[in-house]
Amino acid sequence: MRPLRVLLFAVLAVTALLLQVSVFGLLPLPQARPDVLLVVVVGCALVSGPMGGSVIGFAIGLLADVAPPADHTLGRWALVYALVGYAAGMLEDLEERSVLASMAVVAVATAAAVAVYATLGAMVGDQRVTTAVLSHNLPFMVLYDVVLAPFVLPLIAAIDRRLQPEGGLP
Amino acid sequence: MRETPRTRLVLTLLVLTAFTLITLDYRAGKGSPFEHVRRSADAVLGPIEGAVAAAVRPVADAFARLGGGGGGAKVRQLEKENADLRAQVERGAADRSRLTELEKLTGLAGVGRLRIVAANVVGVGGSGGFEWTATIDVGSRDGVQPLMSVISGDGLVGRVKTVGPRSSTVLLAMDPQSQVGARVATTGFIGWVRGGGSGPMTFTLLDAHAALKQGQQLVTFGSENDRPYIPEIPIGTITKVESTPGAQTRTALVEPFTKFTALDPVAVVIAAPRDIPRDSLLPAPPPKPTPTAPASPPPATTGPSAGPSPGATKPGG
Repeated sequence: MRPLRVLLFAVLAVTALLLQVSVFGLLPLPQARPDVLLVVVVGCALVSGPMGGSVIGFAIGLLADVAPPADHTLGRWALVYALVGYAAGMLEDLEERSVLASMAVVAVATAAAVAVYATLGAMVGDQRVTTAVLSHNLPFMVLYDVVLAPFVLPLIAAIDRRLQPEGGLP
Repeated sequence: MRETPRTRLVLTLLVLTAFTLITLDYRAGKGSPFEHVRRSADAVLGPIEGAVAAAVRPVADAFARLGGGGGGAKVRQLEKENADLRAQVERGAADRSRLTELEKLTGLAGVGRLRIVAANVVGVGGSGGFEWTATIDVGSRDGVQPLMSVISGDGLVGRVKTVGPRSSTVLLAMDPQSQVGARVATTGFIGWVRGGGSGPMTFTLLDAHAALKQGQQLVTFGSENDRPYIPEIPIGTITKVESTPGAQTRTALVEPFTKFTALDPVAVVIAAPRDIPRDSLLPAPPPKPTPTAPASPPPATTGPSAGPSPGATKPGG
């Protein structure tokens, strides 16, 4: 069961990446673009707990750091998503989360992730990170991610349930 | 699994690993030990992005033509009846607009006698919305090398940053990290254009006393050995001159010729002649930006041209 789970999460991660870069990236969406990978990290963390969440977050972050057309210091998203995965994983016990609750989790996670990423950027002297860009992008990114959440999170929860047919706490 | 000392240990290790990676990559700069990791990722993921983009392109084109707006509430049945027809018309029109773009591109390359490799944009951006970079579907096998200029039919797109075997990453001119040496057409004053991300580009004129007017056009100044920028590529039009009394330089806002929201098709400039005539690549009437006529309405019947994918446009070298 373990290897299958890892494989499925890997497929999920690559799918999310392609969706982000080659689908949403090419569509002329107004103002900003959703962060599909982040929503997937939150989804995986909510079904895996803090340990699984941080590991999956780290792995997905590394993917975001190396996959073309990424052009920044390696490890930045890995760090951010590991923290997001950990924090979201702490909410694992909130069984039967309402849709609204998970959307709120995604909203907070997006804001926190972008804030931490921007802080890291300021530390390594990234010219791209400015308050103007932040204040312009952040509201729209949160909005897009919140819209994605009701589609992505139940999908990941369903995959997880398939993998553990006996149910209950591991 | 709840939070235990073990989960905290794992998180700590991951955070430390990430910090190590960031430090190593940041300190090394160009000769990063992770260069080969990036190159492998380019080699593996580049072609996959290409395949996905080819499937998405017709939809993206249709969206771009519609300006992203959707239709209002319509009767279900009518919609169903129209769906097929509309899809055909859309695809025909999308193909045509692509063809126009390609014609403009080859036109520009022809006037400047540039040797180009045409490419499709197969991926844009990344997480966070800070980076304005794109993946294109040509790489070292097509003769692309780092620091080559990338153009569209309208003007400058950016420059090649990293190159994989079949794909490359382009730093778009609108990225805040992009700085392009620029010359004001006709007057010849020089300065540089910096990308503004989601905001407008800015032009900084080196001579604070030089005249700068709204509507003036900018072209690339050209770099040494044409890397990263060949001279004379149209960049954009000055939309607003900012008054900075007492400053050493003057700045102005620039509207780029290239439409970065619909970036397709583009071309990498492999080689350029030494003597591109001054201002020869600018759009036809120099004082005014060319009025972009709205696409003529598609004829009622478009043949069964729905089949061929518009992705196969790669006239090599």
